[in-house]
Amino acid sequence: MTTRYSLQTVAELKNLNQIRDFVEIATTALGFEPDLIPNVQLAVDEVATNVILHGYHGQGGNLEVELERAGSDLVVHLRDEAPPFDPTSVPAPDLTLPLAKRPIGGLGIHLVRQAVDEVFHRVTATGGNELTLVKRDAAGG
Amino acid sequence: MSGLQIIVSQEQGRVPVTVFRIEGDVMDANSYGQLEAQARAAIEAGTRDLLLDLTKMKYISSAGLRALHTIFMLLRGDTPGESDETMKKGLMDGTFKSPHLKLLNPSPAVTETLRAMGFDMFLEVHRNLKDAIASF
Repeated sequence: MTTRYSLQTVAELKNLNQIRDFVEIATTALGFEPDLIPNVQLAVDEVATNVILHGYHGQGGNLEVELERAGSDLVVHLRDEAPPFDPTSVPAPDLTLPLAKRPIGGLGIHLVRQAVDEVFHRVTATGGNELTLVKRDAAGG
Repeated sequence: MSGLQIIVSQEQGRVPVTVFRIEGDVMDANSYGQLEAQARAAIEAGTRDLLLDLTKMKYISSAGLRALHTIFMLLRGDTPGESDETMKKGLMDGTFKSPHLKLLNPSPAVTETLRAMGFDMFLEVHRNLKDAIASF
């Protein structure tokens, strides 16, 4: 039996707090250690922000955030109905450049890769996006 | 629901230093604009040296990094003597950090993000206020 915690919300910046709170509650309820929470919140925050600003171009739209446990892994699915876009295809920024030479921004997906262990994208049956994040619990769950 | 509070104070070391104490878990796409606007206002009012107290910040998002980067650039514009060559050399020596923007007490998560995104080479980190102010 798998317990899944699911939040159905509207992809708007003002809902980021709600999404963060939900991630904290669900991660705790699934029995993961609290030190996992900031990284998972960060990753979800980044993905949700991209859906809000780029997926739906600030116009809003449905967003589902679902958390479940797979063994000692925390799995997060983010599903939207925005045009298909694979954020994992975005090339990594050049971090060897001095700060003064770098373009501002563009770090969102890179931060996601740093915060969680795996990121997968697929297009859903309804033509939207599903982004799956996997965070391994080093403590072994 | 975005409510990032920024508590502003002025300290005096060798030079006057403006301190922004960030009261809030995170800086996200909602609130990073607030930090940038506050920094711009302070600079317009005469701030040349800024310390960001990140004690309360749980993690920093890409929006937060964007604000740091913008503020770094705003404060940098003030030192025409810093040539690119000086900066490059300093980078290779590991000595080039911003003399005008520094960080106080980032959490382990924030520290790791700064390191992973290569911001740690440019921003000095201090663990207590007194040392931070004296370092400017």
